[in-house]
Amino acid sequence: MSPDHYYALALIMFVCGVIGITLRRNLIVIMMSIELLLNSVNLIFVAASKAHGLVDGQVMVLFIITIAACEAAVGLAMVIALYRRYGTIDTDFYRMLRG
Amino acid sequence: MMDSAPLVFYTLAALITFSSIMVVAARTPVISALFLVLDLFLLACVYASLNANFVAVIQVLVYAGAILVLFLFVIMMLNVPRVRSKPRIKALDGLLITMVMVAFLYMLYRVIAQYLSPLPVESAGGSNTEAVGKLLFVEHLWAFELASFLILLAMVASIVITKKRAAP
Repeated sequence: MSPDHYYALALIMFVCGVIGITLRRNLIVIMMSIELLLNSVNLIFVAASKAHGLVDGQVMVLFIITIAACEAAVGLAMVIALYRRYGTIDTDFYRMLRG
Repeated sequence: MMDSAPLVFYTLAALITFSSIMVVAARTPVISALFLVLDLFLLACVYASLNANFVAVIQVLVYAGAILVLFLFVIMMLNVPRVRSKPRIKALDGLLITMVMVAFLYMLYRVIAQYLSPLPVESAGGSNTEAVGKLLFVEHLWAFELASFLILLAMVASIVITKKRAAP
C-alpha cells in the first residue's frame, strides 16, 4: 500500500473535524472534532514512519497523545466551568453574550 | 516483510470515514462520543496493520480508554439536551459494540501474532516496542520529561478551573 492512501484517509478525517468545528454548536462535539484532527495527524505520522522505515514518527504520536490528553482535561474543565456559570454549552449563546 | 492487505485497509478506511462523519453528524453528544470510540479503535487497527504495535496499544489504552471516558463523564455531568425517554437506539448500540469488539480483536490478533512468530523487523534491534522505547528514552528524553511536566500542569489547571468559588 502506498502511503498516499493513508494520507487520503487522514485528509478525510481532517475535513470531517474541520466541518464539525465550524458547523456544530455543541461545545463537547466541537472538542471531539478537535480529537478527530489530532488523530488524522497521528495517522499521517504512523504512515510516514512506515514509509520511511523510521520509528521517530511513532514517538511523535506518543507525544501528540499526551498533548491530546492534556487538552481534553483542560478543555472539558473549561466546559464544566462555562456550564456552571451560564447553564448552557451552546456556542450561539456565547456569541450573543458578546453583543 | 508482510505488507497490509489492501482489502483490510479499504474496509478499515470505509469504516473510519463512516464513523468520522457520524461523530460530526450525530444528533446527541453521546452518540458522537461512541462513534469516536469506534473511530479510535479502527485507527488502532490501522496502526497495528502498519506494524506500529506499541502505538496501537497506547491508542486503545489512553485514547479510547481514558480520554473518551473523560468525555462521557462530562456529558453525563452536564445532562445536555434531554433525550427521549424511549430507548430507540438499541440496534445502533448493538452494531457499535459489535464493531468495536471486532476492531479490538483484530488489533489484538495483529499484535499477538507478531510476538508468537516474530517477523523480521526492518529497524535494527528487536521489536517495535523496543525500538520506540530506545528512541523515546535516549533521543527524546527531554521531550519526555517535559511531557510529564505538561501533564502535571494540565492536572493542576483543570482542578483550579473546576473548583467551586464563592459566588462573584
